[in-house]
Amino acid sequence: MTYLSRMSPRSRHFIKGTITLVSVILCVLILPTRLPGMELLGIGPNWPLIWVVAWSIRRKRTLLAAIVGGLAMGFLQDGMTAPVPTHAASLVLVAVLTILLQKMRSIPPEIIEKDPIPIALIVFGMAVIAETLMAFQFSWIGERTLVEIWTYHQRVALCSAILSSLWAPVIYFPLNRAWDMTSSSES
Amino acid sequence: MLKNTLRRWWDLRLQIAMLGLALSGAWFVRQTQGQALFEVYGWVTRPFQVNASQQEQLLNARTKELQDRLAELQTQNQKLQSLLGYVSTQKNKGIAAPIIGRSADHWWEQVSLGRGSKDGIRKGFIVMGPGGVVGRIITVTPNTSLVVLITDSTSRVGVVISRTRQMGFLRGKGEKSKNRAVMEFFENVPNVKVGDVVTTSNFSQLYPIGLPIGRVESLDLKKSPAPEALIEFSAPINSLEWVVVYPHQPPSEIKSTQKQPSSTNLPQNQPFKEEGGEANR
Repeated sequence: MTYLSRMSPRSRHFIKGTITLVSVILCVLILPTRLPGMELLGIGPNWPLIWVVAWSIRRKRTLLAAIVGGLAMGFLQDGMTAPVPTHAASLVLVAVLTILLQKMRSIPPEIIEKDPIPIALIVFGMAVIAETLMAFQFSWIGERTLVEIWTYHQRVALCSAILSSLWAPVIYFPLNRAWDMTSSSES
Repeated sequence: MLKNTLRRWWDLRLQIAMLGLALSGAWFVRQTQGQALFEVYGWVTRPFQVNASQQEQLLNARTKELQDRLAELQTQNQKLQSLLGYVSTQKNKGIAAPIIGRSADHWWEQVSLGRGSKDGIRKGFIVMGPGGVVGRIITVTPNTSLVVLITDSTSRVGVVISRTRQMGFLRGKGEKSKNRAVMEFFENVPNVKVGDVVTTSNFSQLYPIGLPIGRVESLDLKKSPAPEALIEFSAPINSLEWVVVYPHQPPSEIKSTQKQPSSTNLPQNQPFKEEGGEANR
């Protein structure tokens, strides 16, 4: 901590960027794995979504930065699966909703930073919204039958929401702490 | 005042430049279908991959005996086929590959393999598990490859009931943790019963003819517009660890070089379009 605060703002900025990049790569690389205890009915946590929520809920985050974060994460997930329908749409929606939630101060930021429950609840809601938007996109494309999409959606939305909300603190707290440490004395 | 505004503008410009850089980087990954990421993933998971010698030990003597007998019958069959002037497109050189990852989101049924173009895998190759067809290769990087499984909702495979030669196509249900798919028949009253073996048909362009897929589990012959059967895959698709990749070239690509007997009797208007899930890619 003292070592970090003695560093120049420029190098601290560099470390912050590196931490962000490494966290993104970790979130993307963990996607194809199915570690024991991390899946429910074959469905794992939605790591990019957790990252996007953690990114957007920061106090000083601008709307533009939140949207770009959602877009970039969506493109990365597209690269890992298939580009149509895009994951960027749902992740941008999640980023915008999260930043609105944070700007309107529906939940005080002090509580979010200390208590794991609010972040888990936010991620739960956002996961349901994101999977619903994906299901709408699949319905729009029309290569799967509507009955199949929406029966599958129920299961995927619920499992993904439960698992993502349970695993959200694992991403959010270390990342938030790292961002705090690298930018605390900047102003 | 002016200095302050300039300073703030400069700061903002830096931020915008960084965000632009992040966005273009992500776009690049999307356009290259995450090849770099899969390479890194393959490299990171290398220490955890099951190696070939361990896998070999797991095979028991009975399986080996059956494999030997099968090989014997296959060579006999090939000899008979060559006597009849039948040209086979299937070669029996398989590439064993470990499964190193599952689908990266909830809507697609994909797996990634720990072998890639360096080991001779190409796009369109067929992936077989113990028991039957599993899927086909859609993306290849030097050390990994991405497989779309036949359980994926976008997967369509031309299949046949091997007992009565009733034609149909297999539609993936896209459901995790269920080893099933739906077969739709072309005929209104198909001759089929529970337990019948299902194999790939000669309508299939993406898969070679006669590969085992599974067995009929239940029937719904009153289903409109076409009667349906629920097929249970013979390969345990949800618990695979190791698969074998076989070279395959769709007959449409071979036609120019050699005449293919099976593709000459294709109907003019096929009632379905076979898809391997790569249509969107």
